[in-house]
Amino acid sequence: MKIKLFVNFLFVVFFLNANAQEFKLGKVSIKELEEKACPNDTTASAAVLFNKAKTFFKYDIKFGFSIVTENSYRIKIYKKDGLSWANYKLPYRTGYDKLNDDRVEFSDGVTYNIENGKIVKTKLNREGVFKTAINKNWKEATITMPNVKAGSIIEFKYILISENIVEFPDFIFQYNIPVNSSEYDVDIPGFFVYKGVVKRPSEIISESKVTRGSLQFANEYTVNKTESVSFEQQSNRHRAYYIPALKEEPFVDNIENYRISIQHELEKTQFYQEPVKDYSTTWEGVAKTIYLDKDFGKELKERDYITQDLARILKNVNSQTERLDVIFKFVQNKMNWNHKKGYYTDKGVKQAYIDGTGNVAEINFILIVMLNYAGIPTNPVLLSTLDNGVPIFPNRTIFNYVIAATEIDGKQILLDATNKYATNNILPTYTLNWTGRLLREDGTSEIIKLEPKFLSKKGVNMIVSIGENGALSGKFRVLRTDFEAFTFREKYEGMNQQNYLEKVENDFPGIQITDYNIENSKEASKPVIENFNFTIDNQCEIIGDKIYINPQLFLAETKNPFVQEKREFPIYFGYPAQEKFNVNIEIPKGYAVESIPKAIKLQIRENVVSFIFNAVILNNTIQIAIVKESNKQLVSSGFYNDLKSFFQQMIDKQNEKIILKKI
Amino acid sequence: MNFKLVSFVFFFSISLLSAQKSEYTSLLIPDSLKQNANAVVRLDQIDILISSQRNMNVKNKRVVTVLNEKGQEAINAYEHYNKKTTVENIQATVFDAFGNEIKKIKRKDFRDQCATDGGTVFSDSRYIFLDYTPTQYPFTIIYESEIETSTTAFIPQWFPLNDYQLSVEKSILNVSYPDNLGFKKMEFNFANFKINKTVDSSTKLSYIATNIPALKQEDYSPAYSVLPKVMMCLELFHLEGVDGTAKSWKEYGQWYSDKFLTGTTELPEETKTKIKNLVGQEKDPIKKAAIVYKYLQEKSRYVSIQVGIGGWKPMLANDVDRLGYGDCKALSNYTRALLNAVDVPSYVTLLYGDRDKHDIQSDFVSMQGNHMILSIPNGDNYVFLECTSQDNPFGYQANFTDDRTVLVVKPDGGEIVRTKNYENKGNAQSSKGNYSLVENGDFSGNIEIVSQGSQYSQKYRLETTQPTEREKHYKEYWDNINNLKINKTTFSNDKDKISFTENTAISAVNYGIVSNNKMIFVVNAFNQTSGVIKRIRNRKNPFEIQRGSYDTDEIAVALPTGFTIESLPTTFELNTKFGEYKTEIIQKDNNNLIYKRSIFIKKGIYKNTEYDEFRLFMEQISRNDNAKIILNKNQ
Repeated sequence: MKIKLFVNFLFVVFFLNANAQEFKLGKVSIKELEEKACPNDTTASAAVLFNKAKTFFKYDIKFGFSIVTENSYRIKIYKKDGLSWANYKLPYRTGYDKLNDDRVEFSDGVTYNIENGKIVKTKLNREGVFKTAINKNWKEATITMPNVKAGSIIEFKYILISENIVEFPDFIFQYNIPVNSSEYDVDIPGFFVYKGVVKRPSEIISESKVTRGSLQFANEYTVNKTESVSFEQQSNRHRAYYIPALKEEPFVDNIENYRISIQHELEKTQFYQEPVKDYSTTWEGVAKTIYLDKDFGKELKERDYITQDLARILKNVNSQTERLDVIFKFVQNKMNWNHKKGYYTDKGVKQAYIDGTGNVAEINFILIVMLNYAGIPTNPVLLSTLDNGVPIFPNRTIFNYVIAATEIDGKQILLDATNKYATNNILPTYTLNWTGRLLREDGTSEIIKLEPKFLSKKGVNMIVSIGENGALSGKFRVLRTDFEAFTFREKYEGMNQQNYLEKVENDFPGIQITDYNIENSKEASKPVIENFNFTIDNQCEIIGDKIYINPQLFLAETKNPFVQEKREFPIYFGYPAQEKFNVNIEIPKGYAVESIPKAIKLQIRENVVSFIFNAVILNNTIQIAIVKESNKQLVSSGFYNDLKSFFQQMIDKQNEKIILKKI
Repeated sequence: MNFKLVSFVFFFSISLLSAQKSEYTSLLIPDSLKQNANAVVRLDQIDILISSQRNMNVKNKRVVTVLNEKGQEAINAYEHYNKKTTVENIQATVFDAFGNEIKKIKRKDFRDQCATDGGTVFSDSRYIFLDYTPTQYPFTIIYESEIETSTTAFIPQWFPLNDYQLSVEKSILNVSYPDNLGFKKMEFNFANFKINKTVDSSTKLSYIATNIPALKQEDYSPAYSVLPKVMMCLELFHLEGVDGTAKSWKEYGQWYSDKFLTGTTELPEETKTKIKNLVGQEKDPIKKAAIVYKYLQEKSRYVSIQVGIGGWKPMLANDVDRLGYGDCKALSNYTRALLNAVDVPSYVTLLYGDRDKHDIQSDFVSMQGNHMILSIPNGDNYVFLECTSQDNPFGYQANFTDDRTVLVVKPDGGEIVRTKNYENKGNAQSSKGNYSLVENGDFSGNIEIVSQGSQYSQKYRLETTQPTEREKHYKEYWDNINNLKINKTTFSNDKDKISFTENTAISAVNYGIVSNNKMIFVVNAFNQTSGVIKRIRNRKNPFEIQRGSYDTDEIAVALPTGFTIESLPTTFELNTKFGEYKTEIIQKDNNNLIYKRSIFIKKGIYKNTEYDEFRLFMEQISRNDNAKIILNKNQ
């Protein structure tokens, strides 16, 4: 056992060394400059030849610790399309409460070209370096490299210094262009413990060992005298070679989930002769630290401001279910979200309550406090929205949103009062991202699955008759539940009805709508139902003495959404959904059915998607019943080919014609 | 008596107070202004005070009732500033529907942000804006601002109505100016609006517009000719530390040349020698220019840096030569310097770069334009060069700078000219190819597509684009063919002829739908009309087709064996004022057909009442593009 470990270790070291080519800025070769295309990806417009970075600590007697990140790049521009890589933007934080602004310094910027067989260098001067204050929390440093054309190689380096030691800047191994070599070294003094979270860890080689480290800093009392402390430190080496370009694909939850990268978050500090300070190691640690923050725990205890209103709205409301309903609607109506995310309050719940506006924490904390006060135990659930990535390991910094969780009769109910159309367990779709973490005041916590477990439904009923020249007229009814209803309301509620109908008429060219009405457009807990009458004149094809007509009429899908030849990443559906279509077509006088499409049932493994098609003739009508289900939120890329052919077969079936013949 | 008097005073003061608050209650808005509106501008008053050639003060009071979420952007509470323009005052007050004050927003609660976009590396321009979260609808906001600037080259244009789905109760403009600075104004699109000029003297100008109902945005509306506006300028003005005069384009051009272009075209001897060697013995100025343009495209790239006067004055040619980048001004002027070195005269040219054809208002001498290109005299005409592009063919302009009036800046004065018009049939796409079907409906085909004129610009980048993007393009272009597979593509880009050729081999399963011993398929596989024309109830605006186009297709179709034709689409022809369309099928033998199709869309401006006719024309085309062939399986 011991031996095996040793061998493993040796192997890793050997492996690292074997690949380790010495990368230094300034040593550009003619061969690199003459290269016309990236050998591993001839389509690449540019490639990172190497990227080498390290992060380490610095100490200052006045300002304490700061994190220093040095990052250098050598980039080859192969094609004109790659010229945009000659501009580099680095955003950095400013306007901290108690810390100094981050600082950025660019250096060693050089463009290399080959002219008459010789290497010509052009240096990046001050005129090509810019700093812009984007807003009060962010600045941006930009460089624009001189004399760059297709074939050039550029090099530059920057140093980013931050007193914010809670997290390191993310290190990115993978870009939208290929990377030949990427090295990232981290030295962490023993009195800090950081958790490193790697996205797609199988793609990088990491090695970790304990070394001696030291820090020099100016003596507090004597000018020109430096002090030095030495200590054990954790030295981590991360390597990745020949990383392909990251390419966008449709139906991906968030492409950044698949970009190879590493994040570091502070776990604990353990200074000499001081107790260990735990920041996050476990979910319990995470819960505790978050609760300790004044903008979280204290804000959740504050309750004076709500008592009066609560007593008023709960008068004569007794059952738990009704109380929850009344409180949720009250907060949802009263509070208006300023579209700021986060799980800490900003101006505080009290002020937010007075203003009627607030960030997500303020609004949902008000909800949580009110529910608790009304005797319905409710806790906050931290989560990460889709655009923010996936929370896998216990850490604080991945979360960016908070909702409320409660239970009535043993059934879990998730709530988000920031959205006017949300209701019990129907949350804005960007929150349906892996798992959230429920935090209790006592420091315990629990995983909450955010993937909806029920089918959101859309049901369409049509009764159609065929007129003389093939024009159709009929009645249309569509009912939407849960997330189908939610997304519908989000899009169209509040839209002028004229404009909405114009939009529907343009979605289905040729249709004309009359007698439109909508039920429950505002009552989020009920299904939303639309009814209208329609005529449409381009759905029947009359060829000779026959009428050809699509069983699903204008609702037939015609385009396979899955057109890629190769699939890299998992496929994201959003939420499980069911669509039902019942279409009754009256057979016109003087015609008989020549043929109708045959019944079919399609399904792929694990019932990810299914499709059932039935058509029967009953008296003088053709009755079509279609049920289409997608049962998962996210499936692996291994399902791609099955999905693609499923959709192909389904669309083929939807476009098979009913043929009527004159008698 | 006494008592009465007191009560009268009391009553009076109360009514005054409540009048102040209730003036803008949302309840008093007439229905005619609410129709189609997301917001109502109750008052928009702009007071412009030009006190001298180097000083202008602009006060704005804007009262907006926001009816729903979509009306929020009508608040327009933001001001730009830079080193020459300061924001003296900016504040807002919010009232509920009854006119009760609910919030005061002071300057410190506005947000401050730099005004660079993604494509800009650096700009010193910033703006302050309001980020307000409404707590109820409707609500009314009073926004007040004041800016002070030394830049008098740009007097804000007045838009009494500045957006769609927005109505205006009252909009007022008051301008005052010294009588010796040559103040001028020009009115546009006033015809359909209630706008009164109340004062027009040598030192003052005022307009008032009242009760303008909301307009709906309508597709194909002619650009820049629907909403009313007033343009204003001074003949004696100031810009970034530089005084200017412009009574005529000639004078304006002279001023621009003197102040911004003089001394900017020096080049290192080395570069001059290099460019002379490249040109060699070539004598023809246009051919020389083509060589220089190619050199520029190889060497430089577009980078936008806007600092102070640099927003107007091009970077020195020397610097562009050294750094290899610049914005449109820098690159145009650098090209001018290179051409100078080989004795080809050329002139920087100001214009609006825009897909919509946006003219420099030629009868209103003032600072206009957002872009710069380079003009080279060519007989009575000019060749225009887009210097920011690394891949445009020499002199190519379609879809960004074509067919519009521009200002050519010559050292002895400016000249208004019109750029190249990409005419109707010149914007051609011709397709030649074939496809065959087998018994189960599977499809395979080859096609050659040649694109020219304005259609060239929609295609030529395919050659350099990433394979995934290319695949995406074809799957969108042929989205009528399900299960499409691109088997092979080759391209040839003839930049001299401005002609781009794609050769593509494709296949697809189940293109023909087989059921009950029949196969049905759409004969026009390769070129379906895109873009359904929306039905618009009660169209108000005229409509415009900005650029014509002409597509021809000739496709050989091989039918599967073992089938006989049940029906073929008949020849179909349309001939309208909007264009022409024709399809026909020539049956060569039992299994082979030739499908011919041509579609010609004319450029033009048409009346609102003609829109439905146009829509019908396009709908008939789209329907006939879907015409099907039905085959019977031989028993």
